[in-house]
Amino acid sequence: MKRESLFPLAMNLSRRDFLCRSCNGIGAMALAGMLAEDLRADTALLNPLAPKPQHLTRKAKHCIFMFMAGGASQIDTFDYKPSLKKYANQRLPLLSGLSGEIEGFLKAPHRAIPSAWDFKQYGQSGRYISTLFPHIGECADDLAFVFGVKVDNNNHGPATMHVNTGSPLQGSASVGSWISYGLGSPNQNLPAYVVIQDPRGAPVNGAAVWGNGFLPAAYQGTLFRSSGTPILDLDPPEALTRERQRKEFDMIKWLNERHNSERPGASDLEARINAYELAFRMQKDAPEVVDLSGETEQTKKLYGLDDPTTEGFGRQCLLARRLVEKGVRYTLLVHGVEISKSSWDDHGNFKERMPQHAAEVDRPVAALLKDLKQRGLLEDTLVVWASEMGRTPFINDLKSDKPGRDHNQYGLVVWLAGGDVKGGSTAGETDEFGIKALGEPIPLRDVHATILNLLGLSDERLTYLHAGRFRKLTDIGGRVLTEVIA
Amino acid sequence: MRILAPISVGLLFLIGPALAQGGFEDKVHPILQNRCLPCHDARTRTSGFSVAILDSVLAGGARHGRAVKNGQPSESPLIQILRGRIKPQMPLGQALAETEIVAIEEWIRTLKPESATTPAAAKGGYWAFLKPTPQAPPSVKNSRWVRNDIDAFILNRLEANSLTPPPEADRKVLVRRLYFDLIGLPPTPQEVRAFVESNSPKAYEELVERLLGDKRYGERWGRHWLDLARYADTNGYEGDPEFAHAWRYRDYVIDAFNNDKPYDEFIKEQIAGDELAPVMSAGPLPPPEPEKVVALTFLRLAPFTEPRGEESRDLLLSEMTSTVSSVFLGLTVGCAKCHDHKYDMVPTRDFYRMKAFFATVQIEPARVGDVQQLGGPLRAEFYRPGEKEWADKARAGFEEELRTIEKDFAVFQKPLLEKLTARRRREKPTGDASAQAEVTLKDLKKEISDEGDNSAGFQKKEPVFSQVEKQQFQKFEGQVLRLKKKIERLEPAAMSLRHSDGPPYGPSVPTTHVLIRGEYDRPGEPVEPGFLSAITGNSDPAVIEIDRYKRHPTRGRRLALAKWIASSENPLTARVMVNRLWQHHFGRGIVDTPSDFGKNGSPPTHPELLDWLATRFVEGKWSVKAMHRLILASNTYRQSSQNIDAKAMQSDPDNRLLWRFNRLRLEGEVIRDSVLAVSGRLNPERGGPPVFPPLPKGLDEAQKVQGINTWETSNGGDGRKRSVYVFQRRSLNLPLLETFDASVFNASCDRRRTSITALQPLSMYNGEFANLEARHFAEVLQKVGSNLDAQIQQGFWLALARSPTAAELKRLSAFLDSVGSKEEALIGLCRILLNTNEFVYVD
Repeated sequence: MKRESLFPLAMNLSRRDFLCRSCNGIGAMALAGMLAEDLRADTALLNPLAPKPQHLTRKAKHCIFMFMAGGASQIDTFDYKPSLKKYANQRLPLLSGLSGEIEGFLKAPHRAIPSAWDFKQYGQSGRYISTLFPHIGECADDLAFVFGVKVDNNNHGPATMHVNTGSPLQGSASVGSWISYGLGSPNQNLPAYVVIQDPRGAPVNGAAVWGNGFLPAAYQGTLFRSSGTPILDLDPPEALTRERQRKEFDMIKWLNERHNSERPGASDLEARINAYELAFRMQKDAPEVVDLSGETEQTKKLYGLDDPTTEGFGRQCLLARRLVEKGVRYTLLVHGVEISKSSWDDHGNFKERMPQHAAEVDRPVAALLKDLKQRGLLEDTLVVWASEMGRTPFINDLKSDKPGRDHNQYGLVVWLAGGDVKGGSTAGETDEFGIKALGEPIPLRDVHATILNLLGLSDERLTYLHAGRFRKLTDIGGRVLTEVIA
Repeated sequence: MRILAPISVGLLFLIGPALAQGGFEDKVHPILQNRCLPCHDARTRTSGFSVAILDSVLAGGARHGRAVKNGQPSESPLIQILRGRIKPQMPLGQALAETEIVAIEEWIRTLKPESATTPAAAKGGYWAFLKPTPQAPPSVKNSRWVRNDIDAFILNRLEANSLTPPPEADRKVLVRRLYFDLIGLPPTPQEVRAFVESNSPKAYEELVERLLGDKRYGERWGRHWLDLARYADTNGYEGDPEFAHAWRYRDYVIDAFNNDKPYDEFIKEQIAGDELAPVMSAGPLPPPEPEKVVALTFLRLAPFTEPRGEESRDLLLSEMTSTVSSVFLGLTVGCAKCHDHKYDMVPTRDFYRMKAFFATVQIEPARVGDVQQLGGPLRAEFYRPGEKEWADKARAGFEEELRTIEKDFAVFQKPLLEKLTARRRREKPTGDASAQAEVTLKDLKKEISDEGDNSAGFQKKEPVFSQVEKQQFQKFEGQVLRLKKKIERLEPAAMSLRHSDGPPYGPSVPTTHVLIRGEYDRPGEPVEPGFLSAITGNSDPAVIEIDRYKRHPTRGRRLALAKWIASSENPLTARVMVNRLWQHHFGRGIVDTPSDFGKNGSPPTHPELLDWLATRFVEGKWSVKAMHRLILASNTYRQSSQNIDAKAMQSDPDNRLLWRFNRLRLEGEVIRDSVLAVSGRLNPERGGPPVFPPLPKGLDEAQKVQGINTWETSNGGDGRKRSVYVFQRRSLNLPLLETFDASVFNASCDRRRTSITALQPLSMYNGEFANLEARHFAEVLQKVGSNLDAQIQQGFWLALARSPTAAELKRLSAFLDSVGSKEEALIGLCRILLNTNEFVYVD
């Protein structure tokens, strides 16, 4: 591993600078010992999550990524296609620029199904949004939409990997890992990258969705549970009081320092001593995050904690706000469960299911946006809403009385809010059927480059040497969608 | 680049400038196509010769080698045969017209004896592409330090930099180092004492020998190989389906290390195990040995994406190409899939020439129930000693259990079916024919699953079944499912592959095309299988040996590649492997990028030593254990990790010159195994289907899908086998292993990271596993009697292989005395010891 690549962002900082900038405990503690020996300090090893400067100045310091697992239909949510009405129940023409499964779908018998719900214009921007999302509609002027995003695979597993890691193949680092690697974490007492999955279960690919891939394990997402003990193994064994634990930790520390003193200059041994202190503080801070007793009834209601439909995702959203307040860098919220009705994968009966999915997230998402804004945190926080793919504007099962929509890797819609996002703007546009982009599709890497950019990172500079080449989230590099940036 | 006229396949034929000479396409190719087909088309390839494309014409057949000598028609076997100077004259019985032969000669004359045919060596090429040259150990000043030649290479560089190696590590350090290095477990106090107190002058060598002969050696070193092989027991992606027979490959690898299988054989078996047996008759093919069938699992361990026809096929073969190249050759050819490789002189064309070796790979069709269409296994009898008897018995036991449970399940279902039938009849209007139909088990399952899907809003009608009924039903379902899995794992089968059926039963060898920008649906120039031109110095197609009866034209491609890789002539193979061995002994390779010997990788710190080791490896008939012996016998290995030398720290802070031994953080698996060893609870049983240690409670809840377990927690001793036997599930890993960088890999992993995170203390101090084992560890300590000092002594010996110092003893006993309960105090001591840096680091 090349030192430069492990720690590309702090190279201009002197070691003393670096340690002082991260004086939140770990730096200060290490300072004395480190300056004592004139070593080239491997600061990344000492604390891989130490905060690092942005490449370019951007307001957003945090990111909340809301992932709708299963492939949310763009046609029934945010991509308004009134033109589809005139094709209702007809076959759509063959379109150029498609390949693979979608092409096959279009060649096979099918019939077009326009959205079953009305769209309404919202806000100053007059953005059309499905009436399934009245609450999100109220936030329309904060949102920037990207239409016609192309994903490199038409099935859940690889598409979910692509949206979350930049590659449809397993083994790459997730977006949150890249951002934690690039920016470190302002709060050392909590993980930099937190994942809250749907309380009903895990998404397709499981933990690979928030994996660190080829990046060091320090950058992997930490699974948080929404109540009780949020992090695995956070609580010491029952019999152990905090006081006694402290005593045992002191004993471990004493033994480690003796061991260390005979092995001068070993920054990894020192880092491990610090990790114990960090863990000790995390035990105190993390449960506070999930303890909602300090929230007002009004806030809880805003997020929908009073309604069984919205309670699940409402709690996830409220926690996301609390994590932002605590300084957590990246929060991934997953809505939807692998292969079940609790996923956006509506191959059948979309008329009943879509309202259900929409109702589960509409109020909580809007609450999060409004709450962040009201607290002045939306400035600092990039909020992203995405699924792994869009859906077809037609059905394949001609006989079904409860039709649904098939997968469509060409039609993904993504929206962004907060930070330097230009509310009310759009990038890309789909054809009159909502199948694919007019003109060149927007590749997913452009969306990733934009996310990084809005957090002050350049996708070209955020690299990691792995298997013979400098890896990037955007692989061959993406175009920043300046249309959606203020 | 010049574009030639379209050829018979109707595609634009893009070839490099070196070959695009002399009007082959318009003048020569039509003659050959006209006169030499059908005996020499891509399918028939009589004598291995095909006139299908330029490459194959140049390459010639099996008998006379390269058919064309550039610029020298009369020296070219092609002309000699056409003119009858080599018998039999071709085409048989109907020689070409003189004008035709002259045209071909004209073309050959225009071909420049180009540099591409010169070996890389002659061009002063890149070091890694030149054969290792035999090296004499350099001279050194302090020759007393030299225990074997390795030391001369190391010391020479140290002296040149005015550095001095430290003294030899003391025996307590050495014994711990050797145990962790060779078997991945701590030595017992008895073993430490025996070595420390031994009077034998050969005590060290004897210990090395004993550990190399220990079966646990294979478990330790096999694990290193499994990282490279991206080993997993599941596929990942949707549903994360299981590779039910992958575990047999894991055992194959462990055996290979234990039996010191020569590395060249190890290579050949994993790439072409099915093609090794010679074809002795025109009858059916000799069935491959079961072990060789199992070895091929190597090629199938990548995550497979649900079939999308050509696209998945391309992904599959491309992955094989990249992985084989990086694992065996230390070359990252994967980049060349889309563009010419900037660093490694691997042109895109070479990637596809490599990929063509895999073009005839065939995977068995998916079985019923294989939803993700991973494809089926091949039959492979159990061949390890005692394995068949054991597997048959275990399988019969599970089958018996399954029958009983299915019987009970049927009894349980009956009233449920009746209940559902009654409900359906009530709900449907009378006269609706469907209301009268019997409710099937399928309906029942659906109803229960729908009701269990407790998303608010979906559940609008009154449920038919009680919560208890649903749970019991799903419990039965789970039991049946798990037993079926257990039975499947014990089938005499391997997740293997073979060459496809050739004609007449199957299609012939498919043509491999360069894919433009790597896109599967944009085929470019067709290519023949060929070795990397940067190494061979030419772009000739490889000679594929087809059986003499020409019965199996699809057979032999992978074998040709395997033989080329596993050859003493290959400049990379031996170097790459000795570097990997060095890497695991010293924590870092001589080349620090072990799977990347290309220009973008790190250059070797000791190139002469690397060559010397590689030469010795080949001379020693590719024996891995012989290399261990050699490396372990050096003073370089035996030196202390302590060398307080300000100058060295200044000039070589990364210790690239090895002025001391590298202190190493243990891997996640070794940490878990060591905890179990220390608590006395490690189950030493070897091999067999994967095991499922209990998950921490929090994760156990998270892994459930609608209340159903997806993890078959092993009760009892199975869950305490070594970590190499733990079920490697791509969507879920044991958190303890994961936090210590022991992931379930999706791609070949050449180096483990050693992250340090706050989640590690949470796992090791708070975690259920650590605390349970600390409790057992404490019980072990109680066996030495009630004397606290003696207990502390024993704890140190077990966990850290040393006595506590007086200060440690004093402080710890004071601490333990302060805790009310003696029992709790002792558990606390154990927890503390397991959490020290010393426990997870080796000096």
